[in-house]
Amino acid sequence: MQDLLPIQFSYLIPLLPLLGAMVAGFFGARWLKQKSHWPIWLGVGASAVLSVWLLVGMLGLSPDAGFGSMVVDESAGPRAGSVSSLGHLAIVQEWFTWIQAGDFNVSAGFFVDPLTAVMLCVVCGIGFLITVFAAGYMHGEAGYWRFFAYLGLFIFMMTCLVMGNNLIMLYLGWEGVGLCSYLLVGYYYDRPEARDAATKAFIVNRIGDFGFAIGILLVFSVFGTVNFFAADGSGFLQQLMQPGFYAGLNDSQKFAFDAIPFCLMLGAFGKSAQFPLYVWLPDAMAGPTPVSALIHAATMVTAGVYMIVRCGPLFYSSPAALLTIGIVGALTAVLGATIALRQYDLKKVFAYSTVSQLGFMFVAVAAVAPVAAVFHLVTHAFFKALLFLGSGVVMHACNDVLDMRQMSGLKRHLPKTRWLMAIGCAALAGLPLMSGFFSKDEIIAGAWHSDVILACVMLFTAFLTAYYAFRLYYRVFQGTPLIPRAAGAGHADLSGHEDHPGHAAHDAHGSHNHEPWIMIGPLVILAAGAIFAGLLNFPFKILPAHQLGNFLGESPSLKLGYAAASQAFSHEAPDAHSNGNSSATSVAASTDESAAFETPIIGHIPPLQFGQHRLQALRSSDQKEHDDMLHMYLMIGSGAIAVFGWFLARTFHWKNRSPVDQTSAVAPGVVRVLENKYWVDEIYDALIVKPLRWLAGAFYGFDRLVVDGVVGLISFVPQFAGFAMKFTTQRGHLQGYAASMLLALVVILWIVLM
Amino acid sequence: MTDLALQHYLAVGAILFTIGLIGFLCRRNLIVMFLCTELMFQGVAVNLVAFAKFWGNLNGQAFVIFILVIAAAEASLALGLIVLLFRQRGTLDAEAWRELKG
Repeated sequence: MQDLLPIQFSYLIPLLPLLGAMVAGFFGARWLKQKSHWPIWLGVGASAVLSVWLLVGMLGLSPDAGFGSMVVDESAGPRAGSVSSLGHLAIVQEWFTWIQAGDFNVSAGFFVDPLTAVMLCVVCGIGFLITVFAAGYMHGEAGYWRFFAYLGLFIFMMTCLVMGNNLIMLYLGWEGVGLCSYLLVGYYYDRPEARDAATKAFIVNRIGDFGFAIGILLVFSVFGTVNFFAADGSGFLQQLMQPGFYAGLNDSQKFAFDAIPFCLMLGAFGKSAQFPLYVWLPDAMAGPTPVSALIHAATMVTAGVYMIVRCGPLFYSSPAALLTIGIVGALTAVLGATIALRQYDLKKVFAYSTVSQLGFMFVAVAAVAPVAAVFHLVTHAFFKALLFLGSGVVMHACNDVLDMRQMSGLKRHLPKTRWLMAIGCAALAGLPLMSGFFSKDEIIAGAWHSDVILACVMLFTAFLTAYYAFRLYYRVFQGTPLIPRAAGAGHADLSGHEDHPGHAAHDAHGSHNHEPWIMIGPLVILAAGAIFAGLLNFPFKILPAHQLGNFLGESPSLKLGYAAASQAFSHEAPDAHSNGNSSATSVAASTDESAAFETPIIGHIPPLQFGQHRLQALRSSDQKEHDDMLHMYLMIGSGAIAVFGWFLARTFHWKNRSPVDQTSAVAPGVVRVLENKYWVDEIYDALIVKPLRWLAGAFYGFDRLVVDGVVGLISFVPQFAGFAMKFTTQRGHLQGYAASMLLALVVILWIVLM
Repeated sequence: MTDLALQHYLAVGAILFTIGLIGFLCRRNLIVMFLCTELMFQGVAVNLVAFAKFWGNLNGQAFVIFILVIAAAEASLALGLIVLLFRQRGTLDAEAWRELKG
């Protein structure tokens, strides 16, 4: 592992984009101008190459060496010894001591394991494609250099986030990406809605980050370290798994320990736009479209999922925390999908879709299927980036109009984009054999293992997803051609033809290519990913199966996470396996239990959901067959549901669009609720913003009247004295001043000499 | 003739200082007032030299050297200011500048 070249130079992965950002930021305004994308292209591109190199190099290392020593190594005796072994695909790199204050010791260090490698490929790889697209999309913008500088800074922060070996590094990246998100959402700072959206994103994230910060402090107070892992086993995720760790804590520490997952979870809810804190994400669409694709769909918003998977052992030892995550995730998924049904703004639809898909990932994490969560994270990054960038192309062609009521039948004007968007929608909808199909199915299968109701909710959401995805597609690309009128700052070449929708407008496009290759090229690659990324974790043995899962399973987070989950849930379950021997054997034994799926909340966990294929081999063939059959049925079911959603959207939004208005007229209440997004913003306004404003007003009044009053009174004394002296002593006679000085001198001397 | 004792020097210094003080308080001509401050300076300087001689060390004399240097610098500044003030009002009367009060 240490011999891999990208590991030796792993510090370059964050630093190159930072360097690019600095060059673009410092020299962009004056010298680089419309070439400002070059430093970012080079920096992020080099990082992408290094990331992929790293991933390929890690895949090339023999997967058998040392594997399994973590959990099933029964010959090693008690697990204390094996917990510290990180496995052959994980490495801790410490560059320098960053903060040292008493016992608090933080080093600027990286932790590189399969999870990190996968995240890096997503961040840098998709990030690079999006920067390429952005050069075409943002061409001619006034703040071109500023945009690319922020983008480079974002990649730097995001790579810090996924590579950091401690919570402080993660927090640095966490806040850094939040800052970049703020800057980029507010990129069009001359538009009030962009400014408001940026502020909203920042403030809502503050609420989550407050909890996150508390969580970090609690981690330090309980464990005495904030490192995830260490070669000597002192990382907090390792300490946690030491036998008898929990029993050794005192009462207040136990309380803190139980609170940690909930605090960290709050941060994840904020950053990943989950239910109470999702409101910032749809507004954040006020930023430029590449930003929506990169930050608000593919990478930053998945940071919460990453964090939970990374801290897997912590979360998986707390069933209550998992239950909370599961409920919130499912609620968010349904909420986002239903709101997306009645949105007309292209980017808003995708924003709510992102909220909903992130809900899927949270459900996956909560349903003890972290591999499915990361798998969906990867496929979602592909297809959602594709969809956002595609809507960016549409936006350019339509004079920055995004309202799908004003556009229709764009397939003739945007023939390439049309097919790319179709692929993206199909992947989002989870049509069979697309990437989203496999990842979503895995989530639903995981949810089924945990709780059947949860799985049904997810299936319903998947149906809604298919419907709204294709509703958008058919509305925009099919039907009678209609190009929106220019909305203010449109392209000049269309303004003369805006009164002639249809063919005349189409001819006008001949002079202006709306699909330059700099924008279409990245989309083609993303589309290929959206189709084929499902093969990464193909579930059946006819192809190399569970590749991604097996790779991720080498991550200590998942190995220890599995151990934690099987411990936690074997204690929880009513038919708990009461083998008092070393927990390693109890893990192996509990997976053999035949009553795996009868326990209520979360039964015994298929090891494949953690990528533990060695442990999977310990499962009985009955169980394996059961798993496979369940998977198969769910695939057929979710595929059918997706096709049904597609069919419904096709009927209502292509051939004949009038029935949809009739059906919505049946239940105007529902339509109003959805169009107003459940009035969540209004409720927040009434319940939180207004009372806070009122409180602030009260404090302001108190400050003005009481505090300022007292201060004013005190300051009035010297003021009055000065005013009085002005008319008595200070009359402008130089001699008078000298005389009073003399007098004072005499008085002082008299006092001293007395 | 008896040796001059310390108090003789001090008396001279005090007389110089008092003359300066009275002059400063009684005259309104800016230049004269300025000269009076110089007189007070010299009274203090005489004091210091006397004490230096009395104690048999050079501390007081060192002080005086400093005072002289500063007085010279301050004199050039003050005289320059007085010239400027005179140009403004055409008179040297200190009362002409009463309006400068706060």
